[in-house]
Amino acid sequence: MFGYVTAYKPELKMKDFSKYKAYYCGLCKTLQRNYGFKGQMTLSYDMTFLIVLMTSLYECPTTKEENRCVVHPIGKREMLLNEITEYVADINIVLSYYHFVDDWMDERSQAGLAGLRLFRKAYVRIESKYPHKCAVIKNALRRLHNLEKNDETNIDKVAGCFGDLMGELLVYKKDLWEEDLRRTGFYLGKFVYLMDAYDDIEKDIKSGNYNPLKNSYMEDEQKSITSEYEVQCNTMLTMMMAECTESFERLPCVENIDILRNILYAGVWNKYDKKRKEKYQDEIQSIEDEILVN
Amino acid sequence: MIGDPYQILGVSQNASNDEIKKAYRELSRKYHPDSYVDNPLAGLAEEKFKEVQEAYKQVMDMRENGSSSGFSGTSSYSGNSSSDDMAKYNSARTYINARQYAQASNILAGMQNRSGEWHYLYAVTSMGTGNNMEALNHAQQAVSMDPNNKEYANFLNQLQMRGNRYQTTGGGFGQRQTGGLGTGNLCCDLFCADQLCECMGGDLCSCM
Repeated sequence: MFGYVTAYKPELKMKDFSKYKAYYCGLCKTLQRNYGFKGQMTLSYDMTFLIVLMTSLYECPTTKEENRCVVHPIGKREMLLNEITEYVADINIVLSYYHFVDDWMDERSQAGLAGLRLFRKAYVRIESKYPHKCAVIKNALRRLHNLEKNDETNIDKVAGCFGDLMGELLVYKKDLWEEDLRRTGFYLGKFVYLMDAYDDIEKDIKSGNYNPLKNSYMEDEQKSITSEYEVQCNTMLTMMMAECTESFERLPCVENIDILRNILYAGVWNKYDKKRKEKYQDEIQSIEDEILVN
Repeated sequence: MIGDPYQILGVSQNASNDEIKKAYRELSRKYHPDSYVDNPLAGLAEEKFKEVQEAYKQVMDMRENGSSSGFSGTSSYSGNSSSDDMAKYNSARTYINARQYAQASNILAGMQNRSGEWHYLYAVTSMGTGNNMEALNHAQQAVSMDPNNKEYANFLNQLQMRGNRYQTTGGGFGQRQTGGLGTGNLCCDLFCADQLCECMGGDLCSCM
């Protein structure tokens, strides 16, 4: 998706990090087995989070494999695979397919068309497997597309479309965890959408692309870490994660809980912190100096 | 109705959330229907399995309600509104209570006069439909229009407390290196809300 839902490595224990890696490699392997090289190209860490979360909740039987892989030719890699990995691999293909559809519809881009052709067959097969899920995803993306086209300024509306999508992805089964899973996914989706907007704001303004934060960014003349724009973004993103984790903490996740919490409480801020450090380097430096002096 | 959910899970009322999760896991594994295929005890195990699940959900609900003040069906609104508007506020509250947010939203959307009460009810409705930014904006609006209303201030405070709780809990699971700016502004917002409440004699956050 966007690469925002990842682990914060410095605070993750070695054994947890290897496990997280093994789920990631497991997803890569599944994508390759089921969809070939083009499948592997769609791999992302965001999707690995879904696997770890659902595996923890459902405690599905997981197999450990050791395989060689193209990206790491030396030695063998440990991989963890289960039924959730299969599900997430399928979903990943669906999202990639819709991404290409969007590119093609928007810009008539040749890359979009090529991707569309490449994934068409696989997509049709998955759609027949999960018709309802695919319909919900399609609908959410269409609503989002229309809102973006009409320059929607209501943050909840646009981000909510992506939230609906993520919420649907997390509902693997219809059972008593559905409500909490959907809410966890909904707010995580809103967070990801806004984080993407925050990350791209300067670029989008330059290129004239849609960005829901444009107005609040433009209105704020003061470019500082304490500016109203920055404060607003921080509040928004924090509130999204607050709601996300509130629902997450209601789920009886025990296995891999350290990985999950590392991602939800720290990892999701990786790009945000990096961006702010680059953007306000001098300002942060002077604040840090001040703290040291006191 | 089941018995004491804590007892069913075999934990004390003081157990941490993680301890409850662990206890739930052990019991649900023990009674999982998959382990009783073709077993005469299958029926009994399934009953136990369901009971454990229900108990777990119940404990989580109880803990959540304990930490939030909840929404009350009766208005604390004391402003000047026509009797027609008052009737609409009341029915919006009834819908909110029943978690029928779409209906509540319909009623509010059809109203012309937007008082503090209106903004407050709109905020609660927005929260119910997942529009938490709108909820925050309208809660702030309600409080600024009617700073003496405790219900509005409480709701706003609660929204901000959740963000604050995320940040403090988060610190325990991974300290981000944010150059001394990690906590952002929520504490500051909270401080303001607290100041505001102190004006009316209350103290919403005892920590400040």
